[in-house]
Amino acid sequence: MKQFLMGNQVLAKAALDAGAKMMFGYPITPSTEILETWAKFCLKDKSLSLLQTEDEMAAGFGVIGSCLAGVPAFTATAGPGNILMQDAFVMAEALRIPMVSMIMQRGGMSTSTVIYSQEEVRLTCFGGNSEGFRIVYSTSNLQELYDYTLKAFQVAWKYRWPTFILADGYQGKMQGEVEIMDNGEWRMENLKSILTKGVNLRNCYNLEEEIGEIIVNYSDEYNKVRGGIEEYEEYQVKDAKIVLIAHGIVAAAAKVAVDELRKRGGSIGLFRPITLRPFPVQAATKILNKAEKIIVLESAIGQLAELFKAELFGLNTTLIEINKPAVGFTPEEIVKTIKSFQ
Amino acid sequence: MIKILITGEGGQGVQAIAKILAKAAFLEGKRALYIPNFGVEQRGGVSLAFVVVDEKPVVYPKFAKADILAVLSQRSWERIKNYIGLQTKIIKGPAVEGGKSSNLPPKVWNVVVLGKINKLGKVVSQENLIKALEKRFAKQFEKNPDLRKLDISALTEV
Amino acid sequence: MDNLPRFPKCYKAESKPHKFCPGCGHPIVLKMLGQVIDEMGIADKVVFMVDIGCSLLAWDYFDLPTTQTHHGRTVPTAVGFKLADPEKIVIAYVGDGGAYAIGLQHTLTTCLRNNPITTIVVNNTVYAMTGGQLAPTTVDNEITTTTPAGKTEFTTLKGPELLKTIAGKEAYIARGTTDKPLVLKQYLKKAIETQIQGNFSLVEAVSACPVNWKTDAPKTIQRIQELEKEFQLGEF
Repeated sequence: MKQFLMGNQVLAKAALDAGAKMMFGYPITPSTEILETWAKFCLKDKSLSLLQTEDEMAAGFGVIGSCLAGVPAFTATAGPGNILMQDAFVMAEALRIPMVSMIMQRGGMSTSTVIYSQEEVRLTCFGGNSEGFRIVYSTSNLQELYDYTLKAFQVAWKYRWPTFILADGYQGKMQGEVEIMDNGEWRMENLKSILTKGVNLRNCYNLEEEIGEIIVNYSDEYNKVRGGIEEYEEYQVKDAKIVLIAHGIVAAAAKVAVDELRKRGGSIGLFRPITLRPFPVQAATKILNKAEKIIVLESAIGQLAELFKAELFGLNTTLIEINKPAVGFTPEEIVKTIKSFQ
Repeated sequence: MIKILITGEGGQGVQAIAKILAKAAFLEGKRALYIPNFGVEQRGGVSLAFVVVDEKPVVYPKFAKADILAVLSQRSWERIKNYIGLQTKIIKGPAVEGGKSSNLPPKVWNVVVLGKINKLGKVVSQENLIKALEKRFAKQFEKNPDLRKLDISALTEV
Repeated sequence: MDNLPRFPKCYKAESKPHKFCPGCGHPIVLKMLGQVIDEMGIADKVVFMVDIGCSLLAWDYFDLPTTQTHHGRTVPTAVGFKLADPEKIVIAYVGDGGAYAIGLQHTLTTCLRNNPITTIVVNNTVYAMTGGQLAPTTVDNEITTTTPAGKTEFTTLKGPELLKTIAGKEAYIARGTTDKPLVLKQYLKKAIETQIQGNFSLVEAVSACPVNWKTDAPKTIQRIQELEKEFQLGEF
């Protein structure tokens, strides 16, 4: 069924359709409508509940508490809230809690703007005192906010890593058409409680070797399953001399630019990672290896680039980074910028 | 594809008419994307609204140069200078023209501008525009039926 | 030997002997809690959560579903669990730091909301696991590693008294001591009954830390009895 919705409304609806029963959250622009939309859902459906917590830390840990009881829960935040929630996120990594969180990136650096950036990539992927045992989806349009949220819940409860929808204020506040599932086929049900008799969980250890072994085991497991989780999109890369790399809504603009540049005879394509964690490294290397020039476009300084730069070492391609921290790219300006490199 | 940028003071109803236009496009079976741009203040400050309408799915909500630019307040000119290109058609709201260009009360001047945008850009049918307007202001119209008449005439003021 | 009370049935035998320091108050609180759980027959309903600090040493104390959380976040995790599964009896077992410093706003807000979880605060007036620093409940002139000249900085935080000013009528708030374990046991029982009735409960247990107090056995007992004059005992 087609509906005309705001991105933040889409996220709340997707969580509902995925089978989430609880939302914990603290108001912070540009994510607040997710909380408010969920509050409206709770009025109509008594099996749902919302807790607006005293701060983001309580929200994150509240989600963990609910997941421990086998009840799917989620939260949404941005910027400074994302920072406070790292406390909970890293505990979820350690205890393998299937928490789902929506990050609506806003201006980077401190409280910044309430609007947009891609400056929470590093934080969302690796923000804990940890190795980033997380799954992060970077969405680029309204439909993906819906589709990938449904997927995020499934993936979180299957693989038991904290899972994120990494979007931004533009996606959260824009309004447009979305195809909503109305048959409940994605709804998770009858999940089992994690904290049951015989289960004693801790994340604090005594000896270096104890925790060292656990981290290595996690890392091995993460690497074993990552192939089934990694996602990317390749657009017109087959014979492309120049390959653009972008994620999120910047990739959406880049796609339009690729079309325009191709029309004008350019040999250009786009590689778009969809999972930033685990990053589709093998796929990226294969595609980028064939290009003469790689141009990274991001609304941050190098946060996307550093996810794969190391893998390019030794390849015969030129890497150009176009960084516009906290500022968006329109398709027209991408066309202009790329033409200056041709 | 048509790219529309509307700007004015917060409280002039910039976002309202942008949303109505985008919703009307949806009702018409077209594809549209709308996005607001604003700062932290709850009231006041310059408000921008971007609306892109096309037959095929709209991929990116913002643009470099507007096809149609509607300016509702003098102060907002500064903010949108960069969006004016060689092809941009500019609509000035009644407030910018000292109130001389409209016979209707200020509270519906934003709807006047909406009507002008649709006429100039031929974005959607008048029928769907009215439908979207009525959906948005359903509660207000129910309380005060005269408001509906006022808004409809604002939509069709030349 | 036959007259000695047995281990609570809900204890986890594999984790005994426990890791608490000799003379520590935690094992007394935990034993009383274990007895209450046994006597009330609720072992299949209890979910136990511990904080960072000495309370974490109880992570495998009981044969009950247990999780340890980050510092100060035991209460909000307990709230999340309780909201998701209201049939369970959720206990947040924390120290004075977790309850009254880093977790203070969670303690206060949970009380304001009257969330039906039971918080047990083991108050030994110092941050013990990290070596004996200043705590919200450090008393005047008490010497800690971060108040080597004796604490004068700020008012000693009286948790139950503070909560009493914001708690709902049906909430249960009490302060006991490891020096009078059977009285403490009654408070713990009432606290759990309060949760079952759907209301907030918190029991503070004034406790001993001979290692960081640097006191021998007689001095430890003496100190606890002095603390009982500072920290009013009873139900609030």
